[in-house]
Amino acid sequence: MLILDNIEYKIDNFSLGPLNISIEKGEYLALFGASGSGKSTLLEIISGIRKPKKGRIILNNRDITNIAPQKRDISIVFQDYALFPNMTVFENIAYPLKIRKIDKQKMDENINELSQKLKIETLLKRYPLNLSGGEKQRVALSRAIIHKPSLLLLDEPLSALDQDLRVEAIDILRQIKSFGITTIHVSHNKEEAKELASSILYL
Amino acid sequence: MCYNKQYNLSKIIFLIAGSLVLLFILSPIIGMTLSVKAPYLFDTINDVQVRETIIRTIIISFTTTLIASFFAIPLAYILAKYTFPLKRIVETIVDIPIVIPHSAAGIAILGFISRDTPLGKLAQSIGLNLVDSPIAIGIAMAFVSVPYLISCSKDAFASIPDKIEKAAYTLGASPLKTFITISLPLAKRGIITGFVMMFARGMSEFGAIVIVAYHPMTAPVLIFDRFNSFGLEYAKPIAVILVLIAMMIFFLLRYYQGKIKDR
Repeated sequence: MLILDNIEYKIDNFSLGPLNISIEKGEYLALFGASGSGKSTLLEIISGIRKPKKGRIILNNRDITNIAPQKRDISIVFQDYALFPNMTVFENIAYPLKIRKIDKQKMDENINELSQKLKIETLLKRYPLNLSGGEKQRVALSRAIIHKPSLLLLDEPLSALDQDLRVEAIDILRQIKSFGITTIHVSHNKEEAKELASSILYL
Repeated sequence: MCYNKQYNLSKIIFLIAGSLVLLFILSPIIGMTLSVKAPYLFDTINDVQVRETIIRTIIISFTTTLIASFFAIPLAYILAKYTFPLKRIVETIVDIPIVIPHSAAGIAILGFISRDTPLGKLAQSIGLNLVDSPIAIGIAMAFVSVPYLISCSKDAFASIPDKIEKAAYTLGASPLKTFITISLPLAKRGIITGFVMMFARGMSEFGAIVIVAYHPMTAPVLIFDRFNSFGLEYAKPIAVILVLIAMMIFFLLRYYQGKIKDR
Protein backbone atom coordinates (compact mmCIF):
# COMPACT_ATOMS: atom_id res chain seq x y z
CA MET A 1 0.00 0.00 0.00
CA LEU A 2 1.30 3.49 -0.92
CA ILE A 3 0.31 6.60 1.02
CA LEU A 4 1.32 10.12 0.03
CA ASP A 5 0.71 12.22 3.11
CA ASN A 6 0.57 15.98 2.51
CA ILE A 7 3.33 15.88 -0.11
CA GLU A 8 4.52 19.30 -1.26
CA TYR A 9 7.25 20.14 -3.75
CA LYS A 10 8.61 23.44 -4.97
CA ILE A 11 11.35 24.40 -7.38
CA ASP A 12 11.79 27.90 -8.86
CA ASN A 13 8.28 28.97 -9.98
CA PHE A 14 6.82 25.47 -9.99
CA SER A 15 4.94 24.05 -7.04
CA LEU A 16 3.06 20.82 -6.46
CA GLY A 17 0.68 19.81 -3.70
CA PRO A 18 -0.18 19.42 -0.94
CA LEU A 19 -1.16 15.94 -2.19
CA ASN A 20 -2.86 13.19 -0.26
CA ILE A 21 -3.06 9.94 -2.21
CA SER A 22 -3.61 6.38 -1.08
CA ILE A 23 -3.15 3.35 -3.34
CA GLU A 24 -4.01 -0.20 -2.32
CA LYS A 25 -1.56 -3.05 -2.87
CA GLY A 26 -1.93 -4.47 -6.38
CA GLU A 27 -3.93 -1.45 -7.58
CA TYR A 28 -3.30 0.04 -11.06
CA LEU A 29 -3.72 3.79 -10.79
CA ALA A 30 -3.91 6.02 -13.85
CA LEU A 31 -2.71 9.54 -13.16
CA PHE A 32 -3.90 12.32 -15.46
CA GLY A 33 -3.14 15.98 -15.56
CA ALA A 34 -2.48 18.85 -17.90
CA SER A 35 0.96 19.32 -19.38
CA GLY A 36 3.20 20.85 -16.71
CA SER A 37 0.91 19.83 -13.87
CA GLY A 38 3.71 17.83 -12.26
CA LYS A 39 2.78 14.22 -13.09
CA SER A 40 6.35 13.17 -13.97
CA THR A 41 7.70 15.20 -11.04
CA LEU A 42 5.38 13.32 -8.70
CA LEU A 43 6.75 9.99 -9.98
CA GLU A 44 10.30 11.24 -9.39
CA ILE A 45 9.31 12.28 -5.83
CA ILE A 46 7.79 8.86 -5.13
CA SER A 47 10.85 7.08 -6.56
CA GLY A 48 13.22 9.22 -4.48
CA ILE A 49 14.93 11.01 -7.36
CA ARG A 50 13.47 14.30 -6.06
CA LYS A 51 12.97 15.20 -2.46
CA PRO A 52 9.60 16.65 -1.33
CA LYS A 53 9.60 19.92 0.56
CA LYS A 54 7.02 18.61 3.00
CA GLY A 55 5.04 15.48 3.72
CA ARG A 56 5.63 11.76 4.03
CA ILE A 57 5.69 8.80 1.65
CA ILE A 58 4.67 5.50 3.20
CA LEU A 59 5.16 2.28 1.21
CA ASN A 60 3.92 -0.98 2.75
CA ASN A 61 3.91 0.56 6.23
CA ARG A 62 7.48 1.88 5.87
CA ASP A 63 8.24 5.61 5.84
CA ILE A 64 10.49 5.97 2.79
CA THR A 65 10.48 9.79 2.60
CA ASN A 66 14.16 10.08 3.46
CA ILE A 67 15.32 6.78 1.99
CA ALA A 68 17.64 6.76 -1.05
CA PRO A 69 16.04 5.68 -4.40
CA GLN A 70 18.09 2.47 -4.56
CA LYS A 71 16.67 1.31 -1.23
CA ARG A 72 12.99 2.04 -1.93
CA ASP A 73 12.13 -1.02 -4.03
CA ILE A 74 10.34 1.20 -6.54
CA SER A 75 10.97 0.87 -10.29
CA ILE A 76 10.31 3.58 -12.82
CA VAL A 77 9.93 3.29 -16.59
CA PHE A 78 10.72 6.63 -18.20
CA GLN A 79 9.02 8.00 -21.28
CA ASP A 80 12.18 7.40 -23.35
CA TYR A 81 12.83 4.07 -21.54
CA ALA A 82 16.40 5.00 -20.44
CA LEU A 83 17.87 1.63 -21.37
CA PHE A 84 21.59 1.22 -20.76
CA PRO A 85 23.15 1.56 -24.24
CA ASN A 86 26.37 -0.18 -23.20
CA MET A 87 24.54 -3.38 -22.27
CA THR A 88 22.66 -6.03 -24.24
CA VAL A 89 18.96 -6.56 -23.63
CA PHE A 90 19.83 -9.53 -21.39
CA GLU A 91 22.31 -7.44 -19.39
CA ASN A 92 19.77 -4.62 -19.06
CA ILE A 93 17.15 -6.98 -17.63
CA ALA A 94 19.71 -8.76 -15.47
CA TYR A 95 20.95 -5.47 -13.96
CA PRO A 96 18.58 -5.29 -10.95
CA LEU A 97 19.12 -9.01 -10.29
CA LYS A 98 22.92 -8.64 -10.37
CA ILE A 99 22.68 -5.72 -7.94
CA ARG A 100 20.70 -8.01 -5.62
CA LYS A 101 23.31 -10.77 -6.11
CA ILE A 102 20.78 -13.31 -7.40
CA ASP A 103 22.63 -16.47 -8.45
CA LYS A 104 23.30 -17.01 -12.15
CA GLN A 105 20.99 -19.99 -12.64
CA LYS A 106 18.02 -18.35 -10.96
CA MET A 107 18.73 -15.15 -12.91
CA ASP A 108 18.75 -16.99 -16.26
CA GLU A 109 15.51 -18.78 -15.36
CA ASN A 110 13.73 -15.57 -14.36
CA ILE A 111 14.88 -13.68 -17.44
CA ASN A 112 13.95 -16.50 -19.81
CA GLU A 113 10.52 -16.85 -18.24
CA LEU A 114 9.73 -13.13 -18.33
CA SER A 115 11.20 -12.58 -21.79
CA GLN A 116 8.91 -15.32 -23.15
CA LYS A 117 5.88 -13.74 -21.49
CA LEU A 118 6.72 -10.32 -22.93
CA LYS A 119 7.85 -11.75 -26.29
CA ILE A 120 11.41 -10.47 -26.23
CA GLU A 121 13.24 -13.81 -26.05
CA THR A 122 14.76 -13.26 -29.51
CA LEU A 123 16.11 -9.83 -28.55
CA LEU A 124 18.25 -10.81 -25.57
CA LYS A 125 21.60 -10.55 -27.33
CA ARG A 126 20.84 -7.26 -29.08
CA TYR A 127 21.79 -3.76 -27.98
CA PRO A 128 19.15 -1.04 -27.32
CA LEU A 129 20.36 0.95 -30.33
CA ASN A 130 19.11 -1.85 -32.59
CA LEU A 131 15.60 -2.06 -31.11
CA SER A 132 12.33 -0.52 -32.29
CA GLY A 133 10.27 1.71 -29.98
CA GLY A 134 7.91 -1.13 -29.04
CA GLU A 135 10.80 -3.50 -28.35
CA LYS A 136 12.53 -0.91 -26.18
CA GLN A 137 9.36 -0.45 -24.19
CA ARG A 138 9.01 -4.18 -23.51
CA VAL A 139 12.67 -4.40 -22.49
CA ALA A 140 12.31 -1.40 -20.15
CA LEU A 141 9.20 -2.96 -18.60
CA SER A 142 10.97 -6.31 -18.19
CA ARG A 143 13.94 -4.61 -16.52
CA ALA A 144 11.60 -2.71 -14.20
CA ILE A 145 9.63 -5.74 -12.98
CA ILE A 146 12.15 -8.62 -13.12
CA HIS A 147 12.96 -8.20 -9.41
CA LYS A 148 9.26 -7.85 -8.46
CA PRO A 149 9.38 -4.32 -7.00
CA SER A 150 6.82 -3.14 -4.44
CA LEU A 151 5.77 -0.33 -6.76
CA LEU A 152 6.00 0.26 -10.52
CA LEU A 153 5.90 3.80 -11.90
CA LEU A 154 5.18 4.28 -15.60
CA ASP A 155 5.86 7.73 -17.04
CA GLU A 156 3.78 7.96 -20.23
CA PRO A 157 5.02 4.56 -21.41
CA LEU A 158 2.93 4.61 -24.57
CA SER A 159 3.55 8.14 -25.78
CA ALA A 160 6.55 7.25 -27.97
CA LEU A 161 4.66 4.48 -29.81
CA ASP A 162 2.54 4.67 -32.94
CA GLN A 163 -1.09 3.49 -32.92
CA ASP A 164 -0.44 -0.16 -33.91
CA LEU A 165 2.25 -0.58 -31.30
CA ARG A 166 0.06 1.04 -28.64
CA VAL A 167 -2.54 -1.71 -28.98
CA GLU A 168 0.19 -4.30 -28.55
CA ALA A 169 1.74 -2.35 -25.65
CA ILE A 170 -1.61 -2.10 -23.83
CA ASP A 171 -1.81 -5.92 -24.01
CA ILE A 172 1.66 -6.13 -22.48
CA LEU A 173 0.69 -3.69 -19.70
CA ARG A 174 -2.47 -5.69 -19.07
CA GLN A 175 -0.26 -8.75 -18.65
CA ILE A 176 1.97 -6.85 -16.24
CA LYS A 177 -1.12 -5.74 -14.32
CA SER A 178 -1.98 -9.43 -13.89
CA PHE A 179 1.34 -9.93 -12.04
CA GLY A 180 -0.20 -7.93 -9.17
CA ILE A 181 2.48 -5.21 -8.87
CA THR A 182 1.10 -1.92 -7.53
CA THR A 183 1.37 0.49 -10.46
CA ILE A 184 1.02 4.22 -11.12
CA HIS A 185 0.62 4.97 -14.82
CA VAL A 186 1.03 8.60 -15.84
CA SER A 187 -0.73 9.39 -19.09
CA HIS A 188 -2.36 12.17 -21.03
CA ASN A 189 -4.46 9.72 -23.05
CA LYS A 190 -7.57 8.95 -21.01
CA GLU A 191 -8.79 6.17 -23.28
CA GLU A 192 -5.66 4.04 -23.07
CA ALA A 193 -5.35 4.41 -19.31
CA LYS A 194 -9.03 3.68 -18.72
CA GLU A 195 -8.50 0.33 -20.41
CA LEU A 196 -5.92 -0.59 -17.82
CA ALA A 197 -6.61 1.35 -14.64
CA SER A 198 -8.46 0.08 -11.62
CA SER A 199 -8.63 3.69 -10.37
CA ILE A 200 -8.08 7.11 -11.89
CA LEU A 201 -6.72 10.32 -10.41
CA TYR A 202 -6.63 13.82 -11.92
CA LEU A 203 -3.74 16.00 -10.83
CA MET B 1 22.00 30.33 -59.88
CA CYS B 2 23.27 33.29 -57.97
CA TYR B 3 22.92 31.32 -54.74
CA ASN B 4 24.88 28.39 -56.22
CA LYS B 5 27.69 30.71 -57.34
CA GLN B 6 27.93 32.28 -53.88
CA TYR B 7 27.81 28.83 -52.31
CA ASN B 8 30.65 27.58 -54.51
CA LEU B 9 32.71 30.71 -53.86
CA SER B 10 32.37 30.39 -50.09
CA LYS B 11 33.22 26.71 -50.37
CA ILE B 12 36.43 27.55 -52.25
CA ILE B 13 37.39 30.25 -49.72
CA PHE B 14 36.82 27.83 -46.81
CA LEU B 15 38.82 25.11 -48.58
CA ILE B 16 41.77 27.45 -49.18
CA ALA B 17 41.68 28.73 -45.59
CA GLY B 18 41.49 25.17 -44.23
CA SER B 19 44.30 23.94 -46.47
CA LEU B 20 46.55 26.81 -45.34
CA VAL B 21 46.03 25.83 -41.70
CA LEU B 22 46.88 22.19 -42.49
CA LEU B 23 49.93 23.30 -44.44
CA PHE B 24 51.00 25.53 -41.56
CA ILE B 25 50.85 22.57 -39.14
CA LEU B 26 52.40 19.97 -41.41
CA SER B 27 55.17 21.95 -43.16
CA PRO B 28 57.62 22.33 -40.25
CA ILE B 29 57.06 18.73 -39.11
CA ILE B 30 57.47 17.21 -42.58
CA GLY B 31 60.37 19.56 -43.34
CA MET B 32 62.17 18.57 -40.15
CA THR B 33 61.53 14.85 -40.66
CA LEU B 34 62.77 14.89 -44.27
CA SER B 35 65.86 16.91 -43.40
CA VAL B 36 67.17 14.19 -41.08
CA LYS B 37 69.10 11.54 -42.98
CA ALA B 38 68.26 7.93 -42.13
CA PRO B 39 71.76 7.00 -40.79
CA TYR B 40 71.61 9.92 -38.30
CA LEU B 41 68.19 8.77 -37.20
CA PHE B 42 69.40 5.20 -36.58
CA ASP B 43 72.50 6.50 -34.77
CA THR B 44 70.24 8.55 -32.52
CA ILE B 45 67.93 5.60 -31.85
CA ASN B 46 71.01 3.58 -30.84
CA ASP B 47 72.24 6.37 -28.56
CA VAL B 48 71.79 5.00 -25.01
CA GLN B 49 71.11 8.43 -23.51
CA VAL B 50 68.38 9.13 -26.06
CA ARG B 51 66.76 5.73 -25.52
CA GLU B 52 66.87 6.02 -21.74
CA THR B 53 65.51 9.55 -21.84
CA ILE B 54 62.59 8.66 -24.10
CA ILE B 55 61.71 5.60 -22.01
CA ARG B 56 61.94 7.69 -18.82
CA THR B 57 59.69 10.37 -20.34
CA ILE B 58 57.09 7.80 -21.40
CA ILE B 59 57.11 6.00 -18.03
CA ILE B 60 56.83 9.18 -15.95
CA SER B 61 54.12 10.65 -18.15
CA PHE B 62 52.10 7.41 -18.17
CA THR B 63 52.41 6.91 -14.39
CA THR B 64 51.50 10.54 -13.76
CA THR B 65 48.43 10.28 -16.01
CA LEU B 66 47.35 7.04 -14.34
CA ILE B 67 47.63 8.48 -10.83
CA ALA B 68 45.96 11.75 -11.87
CA SER B 69 43.02 9.77 -13.35
CA PHE B 70 41.92 8.59 -9.90
CA PHE B 71 41.41 12.21 -8.86
CA ALA B 72 40.61 13.94 -12.16
CA ILE B 73 37.83 11.58 -13.33
CA PRO B 74 35.71 11.98 -10.16
CA LEU B 75 36.20 15.76 -10.38
CA ALA B 76 35.15 15.69 -14.04
CA TYR B 77 32.02 13.74 -13.05
CA ILE B 78 31.13 16.25 -10.34
CA LEU B 79 31.60 19.16 -12.76
CA ALA B 80 29.50 17.43 -15.42
CA LYS B 81 26.62 16.27 -13.24
CA TYR B 82 26.22 18.57 -10.27
CA THR B 83 25.36 22.19 -9.73
CA PHE B 84 26.90 23.78 -6.68
CA PRO B 85 27.93 27.22 -5.45
CA LEU B 86 31.25 28.46 -6.91
CA LYS B 87 31.13 25.84 -9.70
CA ARG B 88 32.27 28.46 -12.24
CA ILE B 89 35.26 29.28 -10.05
CA VAL B 90 36.21 25.59 -9.76
CA GLU B 91 35.99 25.27 -13.57
CA THR B 92 38.22 28.33 -13.96
CA ILE B 93 40.76 26.91 -11.49
CA VAL B 94 40.89 23.67 -13.49
CA ASP B 95 41.70 25.63 -16.65
CA ILE B 96 44.41 27.83 -15.07
CA PRO B 97 47.34 25.57 -16.14
CA ILE B 98 46.30 25.99 -19.79
CA VAL B 99 46.43 29.79 -19.72
CA ILE B 100 49.54 30.49 -17.63
CA PRO B 101 53.02 30.35 -19.18
CA HIS B 102 54.52 26.95 -18.46
CA SER B 103 57.76 28.47 -17.21
CA ALA B 104 55.64 30.36 -14.65
CA ALA B 105 54.01 27.06 -13.75
CA GLY B 106 57.49 25.61 -13.21
CA ILE B 107 58.43 28.49 -10.91
CA ALA B 108 55.19 28.01 -8.95
CA ILE B 109 55.81 24.27 -8.57
CA LEU B 110 59.42 24.86 -7.56
CA GLY B 111 58.19 27.22 -4.84
CA PHE B 112 55.91 24.43 -3.66
CA ILE B 113 58.37 21.51 -3.58
CA SER B 114 61.79 23.05 -2.88
CA ARG B 115 63.69 22.01 0.25
CA ASP B 116 62.55 24.93 2.44
CA THR B 117 58.81 24.36 1.86
CA PRO B 118 56.63 22.17 4.15
CA LEU B 119 56.24 19.59 1.35
CA GLY B 120 59.97 19.64 0.59
CA LYS B 121 60.79 19.23 4.29
CA LEU B 122 58.33 16.37 4.63
CA ALA B 123 59.88 14.63 1.63
CA GLN B 124 63.36 15.16 3.03
CA SER B 125 62.33 13.61 6.34
CA ILE B 126 61.75 10.34 4.48
CA GLY B 127 64.94 10.74 2.47
CA LEU B 128 63.44 12.21 -0.70
CA ASN B 129 64.67 15.26 -2.53
CA LEU B 130 61.81 16.39 -4.76
CA VAL B 131 63.67 18.94 -6.87
CA ASP B 132 65.53 17.37 -9.82
CA SER B 133 63.68 14.08 -9.31
CA PRO B 134 61.22 12.04 -11.38
CA ILE B 135 58.55 13.07 -8.83
CA ALA B 136 59.15 16.75 -9.68
CA ILE B 137 58.89 15.89 -13.37
CA GLY B 138 55.62 14.04 -12.73
CA ILE B 139 54.21 16.96 -10.72
CA ALA B 140 55.13 19.42 -13.51
CA MET B 141 53.66 17.12 -16.17
CA ALA B 142 50.43 16.65 -14.18
CA PHE B 143 50.09 20.37 -13.51
CA VAL B 144 50.19 21.40 -17.16
CA SER B 145 48.31 18.45 -18.64
CA VAL B 146 45.55 17.44 -16.20
CA PRO B 147 43.03 19.99 -17.60
CA TYR B 148 42.92 17.94 -20.83
CA LEU B 149 41.86 14.79 -18.97
CA ILE B 150 39.30 16.68 -16.89
CA SER B 151 37.85 18.51 -19.88
CA CYS B 152 37.47 15.40 -22.10
CA SER B 153 36.04 13.31 -19.24
CA LYS B 154 33.65 16.09 -18.24
CA ASP B 155 32.26 16.37 -21.77
CA ALA B 156 31.86 12.59 -21.91
CA PHE B 157 29.98 12.44 -18.60
CA ALA B 158 27.82 15.43 -19.54
CA SER B 159 26.67 13.62 -22.69
CA ILE B 160 25.12 10.77 -20.64
CA PRO B 161 21.39 11.46 -20.17
CA ASP B 162 20.54 11.90 -16.46
CA LYS B 163 17.60 9.53 -16.83
CA ILE B 164 19.91 6.59 -17.54
CA GLU B 165 21.60 7.10 -14.18
CA LYS B 166 18.27 7.74 -12.44
CA ALA B 167 16.96 4.47 -13.88
CA ALA B 168 19.97 2.66 -12.39
CA TYR B 169 19.26 4.17 -8.94
CA THR B 170 15.65 3.01 -9.00
CA LEU B 171 16.77 -0.48 -10.04
CA GLY B 172 18.77 -0.70 -6.83
CA ALA B 173 22.23 0.61 -7.77
CA SER B 174 23.98 2.99 -5.38
CA PRO B 175 25.50 6.17 -6.88
CA LEU B 176 28.96 4.53 -6.76
CA LYS B 177 27.70 1.32 -8.39
CA THR B 178 25.94 3.43 -11.03
CA PHE B 179 29.14 5.36 -11.67
CA ILE B 180 31.17 2.15 -12.10
CA THR B 181 28.67 0.10 -14.11
CA ILE B 182 26.92 2.79 -16.18
CA SER B 183 28.59 6.21 -16.24
CA LEU B 184 32.21 5.07 -16.55
CA PRO B 185 31.61 2.58 -19.43
CA LEU B 186 29.44 5.12 -21.27
CA ALA B 187 32.09 7.83 -20.89
CA LYS B 188 34.91 5.43 -21.79
CA ARG B 189 35.62 6.96 -25.19
CA GLY B 190 35.99 10.50 -23.88
CA ILE B 191 38.00 9.38 -20.87
CA ILE B 192 40.46 7.44 -23.05
CA THR B 193 40.81 10.46 -25.33
CA GLY B 194 41.52 12.64 -22.28
CA PHE B 195 43.97 10.07 -20.92
CA VAL B 196 45.94 10.00 -24.17
CA MET B 197 45.82 13.80 -24.49
CA MET B 198 47.14 14.21 -20.96
CA PHE B 199 49.80 11.55 -21.48
CA ALA B 200 50.96 13.06 -24.78
CA ARG B 201 50.87 16.61 -23.40
CA GLY B 202 52.86 15.57 -20.32
CA MET B 203 55.39 13.76 -22.47
CA SER B 204 55.98 16.85 -24.60
CA GLU B 205 56.15 19.35 -21.71
CA PHE B 206 59.33 21.43 -21.54
CA GLY B 207 58.80 24.82 -19.86
CA ALA B 208 57.68 23.68 -16.42
CA ILE B 209 59.95 20.61 -16.30
CA VAL B 210 63.16 22.42 -17.19
CA ILE B 211 62.70 24.59 -14.10
CA VAL B 212 61.91 21.86 -11.56
CA ALA B 213 64.18 19.13 -12.94
CA TYR B 214 66.81 19.69 -15.63
CA HIS B 215 68.12 16.30 -14.57
CA PRO B 216 67.11 13.51 -14.91
CA MET B 217 66.37 14.65 -18.46
CA THR B 218 63.10 14.16 -20.28
CA ALA B 219 63.03 14.01 -24.08
CA PRO B 220 62.05 17.68 -24.64
CA VAL B 221 64.78 18.81 -22.22
CA LEU B 222 67.31 16.58 -24.03
CA ILE B 223 66.33 18.16 -27.38
CA PHE B 224 66.91 21.60 -25.86
CA ASP B 225 70.19 20.45 -24.28
CA ARG B 226 71.53 19.04 -27.55
CA PHE B 227 70.43 22.17 -29.43
CA ASN B 228 72.09 24.42 -26.87
CA SER B 229 75.31 22.42 -26.63
CA PHE B 230 75.81 21.10 -30.18
CA GLY B 231 73.40 22.93 -32.48
CA LEU B 232 70.37 22.23 -34.65
CA GLU B 233 71.70 19.16 -36.49
CA TYR B 234 72.15 17.23 -33.23
CA ALA B 235 68.76 18.21 -31.83
CA LYS B 236 66.75 17.36 -34.95
CA PRO B 237 66.94 13.53 -34.91
CA ILE B 238 65.65 13.35 -31.31
CA ALA B 239 62.90 15.82 -32.19
CA VAL B 240 61.92 13.62 -35.15
CA ILE B 241 61.82 10.49 -32.97
CA LEU B 242 59.64 12.27 -30.38
CA VAL B 243 57.29 13.54 -33.09
CA LEU B 244 57.02 10.02 -34.54
CA ILE B 245 56.24 8.54 -31.12
CA ALA B 246 53.59 11.23 -30.45
CA MET B 247 52.02 10.60 -33.87
CA MET B 248 52.04 6.85 -33.27
CA ILE B 249 50.13 7.39 -30.03
CA PHE B 250 47.55 9.50 -31.82
CA PHE B 251 47.12 6.97 -34.62
CA LEU B 252 46.66 4.21 -32.03
CA LEU B 253 44.08 6.37 -30.28
CA ARG B 254 42.14 6.98 -33.50
CA TYR B 255 42.28 3.25 -34.29
CA TYR B 256 41.03 2.36 -30.81
CA GLN B 257 38.26 4.97 -30.97
CA GLY B 258 37.16 3.47 -34.28
CA LYS B 259 37.01 0.05 -32.63
CA ILE B 260 34.73 1.22 -29.80
CA LYS B 261 31.35 1.24 -31.47
CA ASP B 262 28.64 3.64 -30.40
CA ARG B 263 25.87 1.45 -29.08
